[in-house]
Amino acid sequence: MWQLDPQTLITIITIIVSSTAIVIGAIVPAVMEGIAVQKALDGITRQPDAANDLRTTLLISMALLESTAIYVLLVVLVIIFANPLLDRFF
Amino acid sequence: MQAVTPQIVFYLFGLPFLPITNTVVSTWVLMAIVIILAIIIRKTKPVAGEMLVEFVNNIVSSVMPEGTNVTKFLILLGPLAVFLVIANIFSIFPGMVSPTADINTTVALSVIVFFAVHIFGIREKGFINYFKDLMTPIFIFPLEVVSQFSRTLSLSIRLFGNILSTDLIVAIIFSLIPFIVPIPLAALGVLTGVLQAYIFLVLASLYIASGIEIQEMEEERRELKQKTAKLS
Repeated sequence: MWQLDPQTLITIITIIVSSTAIVIGAIVPAVMEGIAVQKALDGITRQPDAANDLRTTLLISMALLESTAIYVLLVVLVIIFANPLLDRFF
Repeated sequence: MQAVTPQIVFYLFGLPFLPITNTVVSTWVLMAIVIILAIIIRKTKPVAGEMLVEFVNNIVSSVMPEGTNVTKFLILLGPLAVFLVIANIFSIFPGMVSPTADINTTVALSVIVFFAVHIFGIREKGFINYFKDLMTPIFIFPLEVVSQFSRTLSLSIRLFGNILSTDLIVAIIFSLIPFIVPIPLAALGVLTGVLQAYIFLVLASLYIASGIEIQEMEEERRELKQKTAKLS
């Protein structure tokens, strides 16, 4: 088998882990936001008078949901650009 | 690393412990723009300025409990809204970076909101009543403390992450295809920026509203409603 030096190994593991993390962290909030929009649209078609209230609540809750995806993105950015393991050991 | 952290432009007075980053410089430019705009609006008094104030007032008063005087909170929330809207879309001007793409700016803003919640709450209800409301029932108190800190953290991280990610997307696409293609993404960045400013404003006024609302009055109102429902 190949003999990898530790720096390359850590870089490879970093790439694999960060791509997996961003994939999962993008899929789940997207699906859940879709469900939220679907329910809100159902509500608007059933009661067009409540559209303004629903829109405000929908925007706020969408931003709250989206922030989980943003947290994942931040963690991935830290892993890629400011990897603590690479700084500590090399 | 260089993409995420702001770059140091120069040192203030040549001292090595006073670094000035590019986000600080663009904050200064933003301050100059806002002050000049304020002077112009004050001189000419256009209808658009009135509509802007009305808009922010409507947003804040839709979140606050009914019958609150919103004017004293607008002193904090109005400038916050103006600053955030201009700061979030600031990276579309050439040579500038968004001040909110720096985590120091967003943490400062959310710490301001954190203290404003308690100050407005104490001013509205009195020192003893405020903490009494905070600690009833007593086993809620640790959860309340944790939620105070976690929502400050999430408020700052949300704004920072959104603005930084849209800026990064535009930068990456610009390095691949520099012609025409980044323009729709920059437009998306403007949309996200305005939306995030709105979200920050609404969340800040929600937190302030949760600080000033009086629990006993709410219960009394609920009882009154039940009584009137029974009578009718």
